[in-house]
Amino acid sequence: MKLFLKIFLWFLAALALMFFVIVFVTRVFQVQPTVSRWERSAKNQLTFYKHATEQIEAGTGDEGVNEFLTRLKAYGYINDVALYDDKGNALFGTVVDHYSEATAKARESGEAAVIDRENEATFGAVPLTLKNGRTGFLIIQWEQMRIPPLFFDSWVGMLRLAGLLISAILFCALLAAYLTSPIRKLRRAAQRLAAGELNTRVKPQLPRRRDELADLARDFDEMAERIESLITSQERLTRDVSHELRSPLARMNVALELAKQRSGPELQPLLSRIEGESERLNEMISRILTLSKLESGAFDEFRGESLDLTEVVREVAADADFEAKAKGKAVDLVWSDECTIVGNENLLRSAIENVVRNAVKYTDDGTTVRVSVIADNGNAKIQIGDRGGGVPESELTNLFIPFYRLGAARDRKSGGTGLGLAIARRAVMAHKGQISARNVSGGLEVEIVLNRTNNGETAGH
Amino acid sequence: MNKVLIIDDDEELCELVSEYLSVEGFDADSVNDGETGLARALSGDYEMAILDVMLPKMDGFEVLRNLRKESKLPVIMLTARGDDMERIVGLEIGADDYLAKPFNPRELAARLRAILRRTAEPTNSEQVGEVIELDHVSISSSSRLATLDGDELNLTSVEFELLFELLRNAGKVVRKEDLSETVLDRKLSPFDRSLDMHISNLRKKLGNRDDGSVRIKTIRSVGYIYTVV
Repeated sequence: MKLFLKIFLWFLAALALMFFVIVFVTRVFQVQPTVSRWERSAKNQLTFYKHATEQIEAGTGDEGVNEFLTRLKAYGYINDVALYDDKGNALFGTVVDHYSEATAKARESGEAAVIDRENEATFGAVPLTLKNGRTGFLIIQWEQMRIPPLFFDSWVGMLRLAGLLISAILFCALLAAYLTSPIRKLRRAAQRLAAGELNTRVKPQLPRRRDELADLARDFDEMAERIESLITSQERLTRDVSHELRSPLARMNVALELAKQRSGPELQPLLSRIEGESERLNEMISRILTLSKLESGAFDEFRGESLDLTEVVREVAADADFEAKAKGKAVDLVWSDECTIVGNENLLRSAIENVVRNAVKYTDDGTTVRVSVIADNGNAKIQIGDRGGGVPESELTNLFIPFYRLGAARDRKSGGTGLGLAIARRAVMAHKGQISARNVSGGLEVEIVLNRTNNGETAGH
Repeated sequence: MNKVLIIDDDEELCELVSEYLSVEGFDADSVNDGETGLARALSGDYEMAILDVMLPKMDGFEVLRNLRKESKLPVIMLTARGDDMERIVGLEIGADDYLAKPFNPRELAARLRAILRRTAEPTNSEQVGEVIELDHVSISSSSRLATLDGDELNLTSVEFELLFELLRNAGKVVRKEDLSETVLDRKLSPFDRSLDMHISNLRKKLGNRDDGSVRIKTIRSVGYIYTVV
């Protein structure tokens, strides 16, 4: 579950729990005492009214009692008043609710008895003695005691509840956002860093924050700083070293040529050998430079232009065929759907060229490297297959690692720089494409998949 | 002796190249920074220049840009190998040819000779004084002048020869192999795109016709054709 949702729900739950605890405690410690106090007060009132009634009756008789009780009934907080004799005849008033229950309780205890139930009017009875020796009961029904319920009683209450709920949700959402937004920012930054954007920093996005998350952001930035400086210095080193190697190499080439001019025929083969090795060194250096430029992402934002992929492959295949013929091999474009893509022509050309020349190098003498361009839905697939016996399955993905040397026979065929396929992979990746290798019928097949921009499905040979 | 100016900050390399070129029949002087190089190149003492891109004080592109304002001195650019941008920019500014550094000195000598041949003498006797006028373009091999609608086209020696060859064969496909041999004086080698680059610069300078049609068309895997309306 998302952290935001988790924090939000937990805090909402905590708030709800707190709310119910408060309501419960209020009921127990505030409402309940009020209720019991009310019961005592009701009893006292009953006893007081009983004495008053007895004395009034002794003084002024039934008429006085009637007047007194009528006045009593008119009091705001008393609902009804009745006087019964012990046979159940009403001497005043006509209260019947709970009459028997209250009188029974009063008769039993001999004093005032109160029945107070929730959500009902309080009802009380007290036995009294009249002047002719008759006994009876004074019965009073109070107005229902109102403990204002917190909610649900009216639209005002509902509104209050809704307000509380909305502010709780709002508060929790804000809190969750406050806690999770820096984490989200950190995560995005980490992803960008992993994707190679080494100048990613988080702290500037959290300018006013001063807490553990801000510390974490600062630590992240320090880490990114360090990684950036390490990687850039390593890249610069590779670049500078390669670049610096070229000056002595250039001088060596000229000196070598002078030596060739001045030496006898017996030294020519050796000098040619030196020339060849120097050429190879040179090739390796330019490939390291190309790769380091690709790795540094210098081409990631190249200006893409629409280009005829099939034509590029056709040209590369023709050039490679020309080169291969000299070694008794061949390159054949066996299938060529028309594919146009958006990209950098030089970069793609070098990618395809590297793969094709690699295939020419490793294909057996007298065999043909088969190249095809296939339009497949929105993709353009370039397949380059050789007849060189393939590579062990476990080594397939390692082919694209710079300077990776296969343990198998391919290693023996020297002359490679070990960088061709690595360069091809970076160039294809810069075009958001994929490159993969697999063993197909006695050889290795490298497949490059790129996004196609045209829809034509014309196949030709 | 043909006088060649080498502008490169690597003194030892300059010495070696001078020595090598003297054996090959050139008289080479060298300077080691861009400003002096520009001044010497403008002095008129030299028939051609070899110009490195990385130079102190003023880089090779800047030198070439300033040089081209006043002079058509043939220039071979020495670019970092594998850096297509340097190559393209160099040719666009007006370098006659380029050579990736570290270079093979034999190649350098061959390129210098090709430039000499292009600039000094007409390619072959039958072309002496030949003037081709076609499609608002006029090109004269004797005065080495190419114009479009009467305005001079600022072509490098390679571009001039390319245009000449294409116009001479207007309406016919000229094979890349032939162009490479007649214009660049070398066999077309696989993976060499310099011919395409020169053509692309030539196209930019010529522009399309008023109706938008292209003057120089690419014939896939074969060559180029100057289209005829």
